[in-house]
Amino acid sequence: MKKKILSLALVGAMCVTLLASCGGKKNATWKVTCPWAPSGVAAMVSQQAATKSTEYSDTITLVAEAIKGDAATVNTWVADTKANATELVFVGEGLLSITSILDPGKMQFSYEDFAFVENLYSSIFVLSADAKLNIGSIADLEAYVQAGNEVSVAVNGATGSEAFLAAALFGSMGAGDKLKLTPYQSAAEAAQAVARGETQFAVSHQSQILETFQQNGVTVVCAFDENDIANGPFEGVEGVGQHGYPYFRNRCFVMARAGTDEAKVKELKELYGKILADQEVADWLNGTMLLEVDTMSVEDVEAHIDNVKNIVNEYKDIVAG
Amino acid sequence: MLQHIIPATGLLFTLENILWINIGVFIGSVFAAIPGLSVILCVILFLPVTYSMTAIPGMMFLLGIYCAGGYGGSVSAILINTPGTPHAAATMLDGHPLSEKGRTKAALKIALYASTFGGVFSALMLLFLGPQVAKIAAQLGTAEYFMVCVFGLTIIAGVSGKSMIKGLISACLGLLISCVGSDPMTSYDRFTFGISRLYLGLDLAICLIGLFALVEIMAKAERRLDRLNLDTTQIKDDGVITKAEYKRMARPVLISSIIGVLVGIIPGTGASEASWFSYNTAKNMSKYPEEFGHGSVEGVAAAESANNAVTGATLIPLLTLGIPGDGTVAIMLSALMINGLNPGLSLFTTQGDIMYAIMLGLILVNVFMLLQGKFLTTLFAKVVSIPQEILTPIIVIFCFAGAYSVNGNYFDVGVALVFGILSWVLRKLELPPVPILLGLVLGSMTETNFRRALLISNGSPSIFFSSVYCIIFLVLIVAAVGTIVRGKIKERKANPQKED
Amino acid sequence: MSKWVEQFNGRMDSWGRKLHEKEIRIPIDLVTGVVFFLLGLGVLLVMPDQVAISEKDVVNGRAFPTLLMVVMILCCAMLVGKELYKLATKQPLNWKVINVQVEIKALVILAILVGTWLLSRLTGLFVVGAVFCCLGFLLYFRCRKKSYYVITLVLAVAIWAAFRFALGVDF
Repeated sequence: MKKKILSLALVGAMCVTLLASCGGKKNATWKVTCPWAPSGVAAMVSQQAATKSTEYSDTITLVAEAIKGDAATVNTWVADTKANATELVFVGEGLLSITSILDPGKMQFSYEDFAFVENLYSSIFVLSADAKLNIGSIADLEAYVQAGNEVSVAVNGATGSEAFLAAALFGSMGAGDKLKLTPYQSAAEAAQAVARGETQFAVSHQSQILETFQQNGVTVVCAFDENDIANGPFEGVEGVGQHGYPYFRNRCFVMARAGTDEAKVKELKELYGKILADQEVADWLNGTMLLEVDTMSVEDVEAHIDNVKNIVNEYKDIVAG
Repeated sequence: MLQHIIPATGLLFTLENILWINIGVFIGSVFAAIPGLSVILCVILFLPVTYSMTAIPGMMFLLGIYCAGGYGGSVSAILINTPGTPHAAATMLDGHPLSEKGRTKAALKIALYASTFGGVFSALMLLFLGPQVAKIAAQLGTAEYFMVCVFGLTIIAGVSGKSMIKGLISACLGLLISCVGSDPMTSYDRFTFGISRLYLGLDLAICLIGLFALVEIMAKAERRLDRLNLDTTQIKDDGVITKAEYKRMARPVLISSIIGVLVGIIPGTGASEASWFSYNTAKNMSKYPEEFGHGSVEGVAAAESANNAVTGATLIPLLTLGIPGDGTVAIMLSALMINGLNPGLSLFTTQGDIMYAIMLGLILVNVFMLLQGKFLTTLFAKVVSIPQEILTPIIVIFCFAGAYSVNGNYFDVGVALVFGILSWVLRKLELPPVPILLGLVLGSMTETNFRRALLISNGSPSIFFSSVYCIIFLVLIVAAVGTIVRGKIKERKANPQKED
Repeated sequence: MSKWVEQFNGRMDSWGRKLHEKEIRIPIDLVTGVVFFLLGLGVLLVMPDQVAISEKDVVNGRAFPTLLMVVMILCCAMLVGKELYKLATKQPLNWKVINVQVEIKALVILAILVGTWLLSRLTGLFVVGAVFCCLGFLLYFRCRKKSYYVITLVLAVAIWAAFRFALGVDF
């Protein structure tokens, strides 16, 4: 009797697992992989989008995941994912325009491996300076550089977007040879470094320097955009574009695997469109994260990638030696 | 602080968190109760499970295991005179004699109440001291952080194992392993030998499964535990603890909790040191020292309150500086960081709600440990006798499933196996594994701060002596090395047969 | 069947008894020092191939591993030096006794672990490896209780199911 019960238990357990594995799902879960720090801006926005996805779709649920690793994470994603897999990944100008030029061997993928879904946000980076330097405008900065002072800039990663923005700005000012880029593990750490006096400047997202700025640890010198910042706590900060310096915005492209059904990609794009149009999300993006909603077409994406590539080609000697 | 407490309470009191706390407490109690299984092994096995969770339930689960592990070890120590975990050895000295006197239930109750008191006391210390230490930590720059890492690594290399030199070799090995993958500063690949899966580096959980768990399976070749036949009918006493006994235990419990907190804050020291130190202190202070070793209620209470008072205190250097107080919380660091929670002041400010929820959760963990201990002790006692024929393959399956689940590939399971073999070789060479763990955990932090400091100073090492904090840590490192070396020499003189 | 098992176990026991008596004594600190000294040198040798650097870097990616290997080599030199001094002054070295039977048993366990991994990998079904693992260990422990086989197999399937369905691990 005891044996029979034990055998039945074994068969029962196996049947239950088999039956469970046969169960179908109406609602597809799309895993969205962010290849950068879980505490970073992209991961936070992705988490917010995932939370909102169920409000706007009965068929798609987004699940946010962050695996820090940049190109290595995307390499693994591309290797493990086939067309129509319910997986999405983020790529930005860092991978498509910078790594592709500086270290192409590291990328086991190209732009053609992806199907563009949507741009998650646009971020205008800002240059902040140690408050003791009293640099509050581009004119002050130019004077500082012309005086032959040391220029050390805290950036997120040695060859990231922030490093190239710093190289492009100081390189165009003629201080490329004096520029010392000090890489930090995250944009937030880079922002804190300037307040501690480890570097004179830092390039970071606006949200990451806000707390230090409010504590008067730093001054915000300029924004890496065409025009002055129009709103938020940094309203009125000059855009470097007006002074003829190169710039680009930081963008985060949501990509599906190439070959995924166009209808599905369209459905995903619509979902992201609805999420980004949600008033609560828009307020959070603008007010808290200091980012802009900036939906894009494939042509816009390609233009952005080419613009950054041009800057990288021009200033790569300053950054990578 | 207060502005975080209310939202933190809201974040903490969810059904999901309470469920995970209870699962953690249950698993931790069971693991710690079984001689041969350790709390660190349990945390390693279940770490991959937390990768799919958010920060609060993930940490609650691991803290549940960690705290209950402190108490669970006492169950087998009292019942069968075999400590379930090394830090329950001091409990065994009086717990088992008390059980032999027919007061098994009372001994288990004393252990449970003392553990809960120690745990809650420690959690409160974390809640109040943590933010203050974090404020000091916020003043530390790149060079200071490097010195902090060296301090943590030196102490742990010094106190793990018999030889400080071997501890240092282990720490270097751990730090070297942490270099595999993308260079944290330039993103160039290092030591990948053309294997693309290594570009991301070696995941901590996978390495630890090999280093600590699979090697224990291989160690079954060295010994075969006989089934521990436990007669659970022996837990039949009324379990009454008299008022006089409560009164006698009050002072040692409080003093031991303070000792536990102080010991826990120092990196490299842990529950074992705290429980022995407290046990001896309680014996010296007791009006009835002759009862110690023969079933003293004070002995059980002192040892148990101290080893649980370590739990919250070890989190103080972890959450403020990123330096783990012991090996088990080192693993928890990765559970925090995978959720974007990096140690430091920002953890208590910008992510304050989550952090306070975790700290308050530690109190809750102890409350549930008390409840489970009260109602499930007989069950915990029964698991002491689970045969290893069943246990061994189940642990292996957990190891492999855990290793696979990290990145969803069998390559990682292979990596865990390689680390298992490496750990076996290291065991044969008498190299301690804990410094390797610390090296793995602190590797990236140590290297980036070292290189960045030199970059800031244009390559001049004088930056490591340039600030007051750097000098303080340098003095601490020298003092720690001196104390450890002196201790080893004394030990050798006292026991010339044993080599260091 | 049971007769065959008895014969097999008997043969294993007689081998085990013979092997149990075989021991290898190694001067543990000397061996550790030499092994890790060579490891340190090996890492330093492969460093130029394995760690790419930029000439512009003040402190490049080789600096930290080089520092570690130098510390490791120094520690090993101290360990070896200490043992050589003992040898010269005729003090006893630190010996470790390794029992051949234990090492062979560890190899058998390792074989079960490798088998589990290979079966899971080759079939793509984790549960197949898990079943092999259970049977492997139960046989290793010479377990004769059928109930243990049933309990272990049920637990193995349950763990797989928990990871597969509760945690969404696809294997």
